[in-house]
Amino acid sequence: MFKCCLLVTLLCFIHRGNSEEADCFPSEWLKSVSMSVKISKAGFHRDLHYRVQWSKTEQEVHALLVQKLPSGVYMDEYQLDTLRRDTGLEVLLDSKVDVEAPEYLSSGFTALVFLSGRREAVVPVHGRYHRPSDSSKRVKVELESPRLLLRSEQCERGVAVDAPCTASNHSICSWTEILDLEDHARVSLELPVGDSSMVISVCGVTVLTTVLCCVYLLRNIWKHGSF
Amino acid sequence: MDAWLCVMFSVTLLIRLALLCFGVYQDQNLRWVHCGKLLFLGSDLLSALLLFRLLVLHCSARSLASVHCSMWLFNPLTMAVSTCGNAESLLAVLIYPVTYALPVALSLVGAPSRGRGLIQNLVWCFSRDLFLEQCSSASPFTACEYGWDFLQESSLFHLTHRDIHHNFSPYFSMLYVTAEHHWSVVLVLVCFLLQLLLLLLSSLAFCCSIHTAVFVRFNKVCTSQMPFSRSYFLWYLCLLTLVLSRLTLSLRRGLGLLLWFVGQELWLSHAYYLEFEGCNSFALIWIAGLLFLLINSLILGQIISHYRPAEAQLKKTD
Repeated sequence: MFKCCLLVTLLCFIHRGNSEEADCFPSEWLKSVSMSVKISKAGFHRDLHYRVQWSKTEQEVHALLVQKLPSGVYMDEYQLDTLRRDTGLEVLLDSKVDVEAPEYLSSGFTALVFLSGRREAVVPVHGRYHRPSDSSKRVKVELESPRLLLRSEQCERGVAVDAPCTASNHSICSWTEILDLEDHARVSLELPVGDSSMVISVCGVTVLTTVLCCVYLLRNIWKHGSF
Repeated sequence: MDAWLCVMFSVTLLIRLALLCFGVYQDQNLRWVHCGKLLFLGSDLLSALLLFRLLVLHCSARSLASVHCSMWLFNPLTMAVSTCGNAESLLAVLIYPVTYALPVALSLVGAPSRGRGLIQNLVWCFSRDLFLEQCSSASPFTACEYGWDFLQESSLFHLTHRDIHHNFSPYFSMLYVTAEHHWSVVLVLVCFLLQLLLLLLSSLAFCCSIHTAVFVRFNKVCTSQMPFSRSYFLWYLCLLTLVLSRLTLSLRRGLGLLLWFVGQELWLSHAYYLEFEGCNSFALIWIAGLLFLLINSLILGQIISHYRPAEAQLKKTD
């Protein structure tokens, strides 16, 4: 709880940097930085594939992706915890996520994906149940491009953004935000929704069927039960 | 019975504390990985032992009792649930005494009588004597001072819990499409009343298994997912093996039980396409859910009509 509060407070400091980018990374090298996001699988359970690339450098570079997610999807913190132990995936969520709540009772959240020592990560994301609709059978959920932040151990000067150093969230580091990336990072997913025009028939037939089953069982109990 | 209830709840609390300790120790020392699962596997064995002893006690031959216990112990569902880390088999050993308080009380104060007629029997179930009996058995809750939160999480949760995600309950589709309508509360009440109506039975041993089957089948939520949700099927599966030895079902009628698997597979196939392929199969899941309810009711009805109480069995052998 304390960690979440701390993270939320710190996320307020993750603002768009001013025009002065850090001198840590040479501007020529910064032009080589690129990012891509892809979404795989189908249905309610998807994987987000993040990949960040840059040209060779002597510095040890750490990357952090700040991904804002809408209320139509969620990440499971317990699953992320298991993945952290098993595969080393480092993802930090800024708030508690209710995995059972539907989309219309949920709010968006932010996930911090740490790419220390690696340049790609696969993060599972799940779709929420949306409101039934009488006009369409599917709903589209759009994920905006994540913000890319870089940091180097060798550089401590002139920075733009404060964020946790690692997923353990014990300390704050200064990161450089990479702006003007080519927009290959917007993804979307489609989820099926129920048909709200069938409300009356669904309720009627369901209640009728359950009442019939109830009557059948009561009749059997009354006839064969030992009283 | 009050002391028994107190011990039951104390033990479940102890189990939760033990799992918490295992978990903390596991984080620090990987040698104790899967301690909780070992505990659940142990409870599977204990459940089988209890079933065997009960069956032999109720005049089943030892060989037949072994066969029935094997159906529980070597059931893939039982094994999968425990090894995935669900405590359902533990609940089978110490199961929720609250749901059985009613049939236990009915047996103790005198079961409903056929001579009274159905309506009079239902009214009798809410009589003063039975009410006092229920209150005295409910006193352990306050005596043990577990508080409202514990009561809510362990028992009342099942009365109010609504899960709009697809599950085996026949009410799933209805609750999903009416989730935002203020009159859905009425539907929830109807679901509960139908469930309550069927739970008013007599005859203790037989009752517990039918009682549990009815509770699960007519519940607003019925999942079999692991490991993060309950496997409701296990709740009645172990108890059903207790009554199998007393059923007079012929082989042909017994084969009708395969219908259960047909109904389950039909539901599962549509649920798979919804969840993992993104197909809009909500309507098909609704129909499969109702069909599964019909099949379960038919099977339950057959079990009820072909069950021979122990007294009838003894008279036959004399």
